[in-house]
Amino acid sequence: MNDSHAENMSLTELCEITVVSEDTIIEIVEHGIVDPQGREPESWLFDIHMLMTTQKAVRLYRDLEIDWSGIAFALSLLDELEQLREEKRCLAMRLSRFENNAS
Amino acid sequence: MEFKDYYKILGVDPEASNKEVKTAYRKLARKYHPDVSEHKDAGNKFKEVAEAYEVLKNTETRAEYDEVRQYGAQGQSFQPPPGWQSGNAEGSYSTANEDFSEFFSSLFRNANQQPDFDDVAGHRGGFQDWGGARTQRGQDIESDLPVFLEDTLKESTHPISFQIGDRKKTLKVKVPAGTGNGERIRLKGQGSPGPGGTASGDLYLRVRLVPHPLFDVEGHNLIVVLPLAPWEAVLGAKVEVPTLSGNLRLTIPANSQNGQRLRIKSKGLPNKRGERGDLYAVINVVVPAAADADTKALWKALGDESKFDPRAEWRNSK
Repeated sequence: MNDSHAENMSLTELCEITVVSEDTIIEIVEHGIVDPQGREPESWLFDIHMLMTTQKAVRLYRDLEIDWSGIAFALSLLDELEQLREEKRCLAMRLSRFENNAS
Repeated sequence: MEFKDYYKILGVDPEASNKEVKTAYRKLARKYHPDVSEHKDAGNKFKEVAEAYEVLKNTETRAEYDEVRQYGAQGQSFQPPPGWQSGNAEGSYSTANEDFSEFFSSLFRNANQQPDFDDVAGHRGGFQDWGGARTQRGQDIESDLPVFLEDTLKESTHPISFQIGDRKKTLKVKVPAGTGNGERIRLKGQGSPGPGGTASGDLYLRVRLVPHPLFDVEGHNLIVVLPLAPWEAVLGAKVEVPTLSGNLRLTIPANSQNGQRLRIKSKGLPNKRGERGDLYAVINVVVPAAADADTKALWKALGDESKFDPRAEWRNSK
């Protein structure tokens, strides 16, 4: 059974989980791809969403041969795309409730 | 074992230059990368493309593959040539190869170098510190966790089962109250076991709120379409409205319009602090499907009497 408490991790823990170096994570943070709590790398705290974003960024860097600014740009567009898809799904669902009433 | 035609997979000619191989890989990788693609088989497609590129991008492994290809491309079923041993071309095996096909392993199984991220990205030497913290661990597993809206009102427990290799694993997952759509839950060490007894990967669950037959979700607010008879909308009424936790009685003000939203405070979804969003009832005026003679007479009397012009706006805009 999992622990229901929100789980935050330090820079060292994030490096262990993502299997990348601290310098790489620092670069990812400097590009604004994730925005940890805390001011200095020693006090940074990453939540699970940031962990997933870091993993995605690392996969895209590795597999698509894009530099970090390209990754930052692609991730913000992907986020927007996901939001729009979700919004479209919700609106289609809501529209169908009106159309069902009309038929 | 099935023979893999890596040239066909990348859609390039066997005589293609390294540059052409790279371009073909980049195009297909962008198309099928599971983090980007909506293609239903994106994961497998990408794996195939990555495997082909892994072999063809390196002159030495490509030469080894070409040699095998001469031998094995004719048949559907493939066995490596007798006494075949990879020349162990240097530094060409990436982290991804644990996922590669049986065909790949049979050709290059003697290569037992450590995973090499730099090489996969083609950044050898240009990104020296990439793997500084590298340790081996098992693969992470990602999966969706469907959760009913009702379950988000308080902490809920969900039994899940999934496959790791040929083993079925069953777990109970606690979902805290106020968990929203798309949120992730990490179960440490519940992914695939690490190679050679190293740490297991993690299991990531992505919460998917199951579409409800009545309610739509908008942030922490819920929306329910409230059908009203024309006279209820005009005269006002008291009607029963469903919520996630039972019905309640809602007062409809007189002269309510179609599409108007009526707010029912704190009957939406909770957030992590226990505060609840609102429920909005959206008015949808519906007309009876068929009217008997008496009802028709009533509608007609209303029509004759009324000065209401529902298309006044059209006339004003002319």
